[in-house]
Amino acid sequence: MTENPAIPVRDKPQPIPASGWIAPLIVLAYVIAAAGVWLGFWADGWGDITGDMWAAPSSDHWLGTNRLGQDILSRAVAATATAFEIGLLVAVASSVMGGLLGAVAGHYNGSRLDELILWLKGTIDAIPFYLFVVAIAFALQGHAMAMHLAMIVAFWTTTARIVRAETMRIGQTGFIQAARAGGSTPARIIVRHVLPNLVHVLLVQATLVFVAAIKAEVVLSFLGIGVQDSISWGLMLAEAGQDIMAGQYMNFMVASLALFGLVMAGSLLADHMQDRLDPRSRHRRTTSLTRRQHQP
Amino acid sequence: MSFARTACATIAALLFLAACEHSGTEGETPTVYRHAIDGMPASLDPAHAANIYSATLVVNLYDTLFRYRYLSRPYELTPNLARGMPDVSEDGHVWTIHLRDNARFADDPAFPGGRGRAVTAGDVVYSLGRHFNPSTRSQGAWLWRGKIAGLEDWMEAGADPDQPIAGLRAVDDRTLVIELTEPYPQLAHTLAMALAAVVPREAVEHYGREFGVRPVGSGPFQLEQLDESRAVLERNPHFDRGPLDLTAEGYDPQRHDQLGLQALDGKNYPFIDRLEIHFITEPTARWSSFIAGEVDNVMVPPEQSGRVLASTHPVSFQPDIERDYHTLAEPEAGFVLYGFNMANEAIGHHPDEEIDRANRALRCAMRQAFDWQERNDTFYQGLGQVFPGVIPPFLDAFDPTLDDRSTAHAPRQARRLLDAHDWSPETLPRLTYGLESSVHQRQMFEQFRARMAAAGIPNEQLRRRAFANFGDFSRAIAGGELDLFLIGWTMAWPDALYALQLFYGPNAAPGANSFNYSNPEFDRLFEHAARLDDSDERTALYRRLNEMVIDDCVHIGSLSRTRLHLWPRHVLMLPDREMLGGYFLRFVGIEAAP
Repeated sequence: MTENPAIPVRDKPQPIPASGWIAPLIVLAYVIAAAGVWLGFWADGWGDITGDMWAAPSSDHWLGTNRLGQDILSRAVAATATAFEIGLLVAVASSVMGGLLGAVAGHYNGSRLDELILWLKGTIDAIPFYLFVVAIAFALQGHAMAMHLAMIVAFWTTTARIVRAETMRIGQTGFIQAARAGGSTPARIIVRHVLPNLVHVLLVQATLVFVAAIKAEVVLSFLGIGVQDSISWGLMLAEAGQDIMAGQYMNFMVASLALFGLVMAGSLLADHMQDRLDPRSRHRRTTSLTRRQHQP
Repeated sequence: MSFARTACATIAALLFLAACEHSGTEGETPTVYRHAIDGMPASLDPAHAANIYSATLVVNLYDTLFRYRYLSRPYELTPNLARGMPDVSEDGHVWTIHLRDNARFADDPAFPGGRGRAVTAGDVVYSLGRHFNPSTRSQGAWLWRGKIAGLEDWMEAGADPDQPIAGLRAVDDRTLVIELTEPYPQLAHTLAMALAAVVPREAVEHYGREFGVRPVGSGPFQLEQLDESRAVLERNPHFDRGPLDLTAEGYDPQRHDQLGLQALDGKNYPFIDRLEIHFITEPTARWSSFIAGEVDNVMVPPEQSGRVLASTHPVSFQPDIERDYHTLAEPEAGFVLYGFNMANEAIGHHPDEEIDRANRALRCAMRQAFDWQERNDTFYQGLGQVFPGVIPPFLDAFDPTLDDRSTAHAPRQARRLLDAHDWSPETLPRLTYGLESSVHQRQMFEQFRARMAAAGIPNEQLRRRAFANFGDFSRAIAGGELDLFLIGWTMAWPDALYALQLFYGPNAAPGANSFNYSNPEFDRLFEHAARLDDSDERTALYRRLNEMVIDDCVHIGSLSRTRLHLWPRHVLMLPDREMLGGYFLRFVGIEAAP
């Protein structure tokens, strides 16, 4: 069977493979861990000294303690909440910002406004990310939200670029032309017609930004310019640098695995969502499968 | 004719032998000692040598009038550039110091013909005077401000080095006379500090602002290379202090027999051709460099002490470490302490007596809530010594019988004290805790906060403020931006007055009194003690001042750390990381390979 790629074809719902459930389940586990911290169910005493220095795993401390005698599991779980707070805030804010500015630029493509937004994106992208964060942290005099702000400002550009291209593509379609002919204002076209058709793009992009923000937060915290009054896997890894010299590896392993698990699951989830939500992706996948089936 | 042939042959043979000998010397491998320190000096100008990193280099590139004996503990002054100890008039106002006549500055383009000249008393006058020239931006002027007659007048008149200073005169090239406004027994100690190193005016004027990286001194070494990773110093060929006299330097067979220093006794120093000083800030990297043989010493990071020590009480090293290295466990000449900013009325001095008493109770409660022994065990392998007050154990004025309740961990008493003065989470002030941005400092903050929380001071009341480097941190303290901070105080001379000046009112921030402690009675007794020579009366006064600081709960402390040093067996030395001991590098010897 062959298809005409110009004609949209509604795919039959593909069954989700077993591996497709693993990533959401892992992410769900992290969500539950973070929610428990936010609701005060567990890990609120991550800073308390409750054991001996570098105590081995026990019934009191399932993953042992760190140099100060703090419970490593509590710190890792509390750090999950930190990661989610930053990941969600940056993902939502940069998606909203990138979505709106990208849609405006795409709708008015070729205009002064479009040029201004493109110039802004180009300028921000030209600044090395970590240097940018340090500069903002310095400008905000070490404010607790400096890192968040820097990430939002740095991450919206990619979303805006994708949304702008999609908006330009959608702008050529009949229903947008019809809306224009019907006298809809640009704001109404963007809000009512363009953005709802880009939800899948924004969702996938937000997931990718969520993962990128968590990775960046861990790196920045490791370097000492990340979270200020909280706990992070990056801080745990920085502490682990000293622990390893003393032959203590638990802090390192727990923080590394926690980060690895969430980043891996988040990336797989983003891929999965891309496959499920993007019609073109579905089409590419179907075409690819068809071609493979047709190969001798 | 035969005589002429014989003479020619003899001369030719002598020239050949001389050439052979010369080439033999050139072929020898220079002896090199590679020393690692944990920071880089910002400047090698003695006027800026106020920290351990600058001082370590400066005292070996330059000369000071006095220095500390290599091996004596407690530290003892001994003449260096001076020919002997100073002659002090009966009233203590006039000091006469005679200089040795064989000291010469190293050859340098700053001098006519590039050849260094003799060091004179005029150079000492110039070197001390330039601290009072605003363009020098000296970090050491406070040592002599108000002490030397006429110095302030000279400064106000424009600090012209060609104009005489009434109380600082070179009577001749070898005789220096210092007239003091009041007795200042610590003057000799100040003249052993890197800040008092003698510089030649020609070099200061020749290099201008570059003088900080182009040192020209009369010390045992001269600078060959300086970059961000290391300084390379070569032996100064003009340096001549005669042979090392181990006995005069305080050699004690019981303490020093294992170090192999006897092989150096009676030989002219320095014993090495080249001294490399590597700046390695990360403890892990420093340790790795030492294990890889890239440097010849290491101060063992606390994380590694478990690997090198067989026991901590008493300190003993693992047999394989003892076999492969020289080892040393020595208490630091200094201490660490937490300080409160007494200028903040929310926790410090307050004009309302009742509030002032409540503030004092809060400070005392925080002191009781903190656990110094835990800090010692966690970060210093339990090797440090916790002591009350600010007179550390290595000083004669230390009082071993002093009540140590001020360093005891007593969270319940802390709670009771808070309750008694109506302190509750609602009324407690929010305090800014300053720290340098590092893993250790952050962990120390968390430990501190956890101990406060256990005594009823919620985490939210302690706001952490991190600084990228020590300079920014120091500026924040000096600016009164922090309410609570952890600082280390390294003694620049072995006298309790150097520690007690931390609380002297006129030294308030940006001076040494970072705590902004203000107590007229303390100041009066301090000034009296500063005029006294070493005596029982002075010791009693020092102890009284120490108790006043403890009673007013101005600080939480203190702890003197113990340093663990390792160095290879072929290196003959007694390393010393203290401000007082940076001179040891001139006495390092390298044992020839068997």
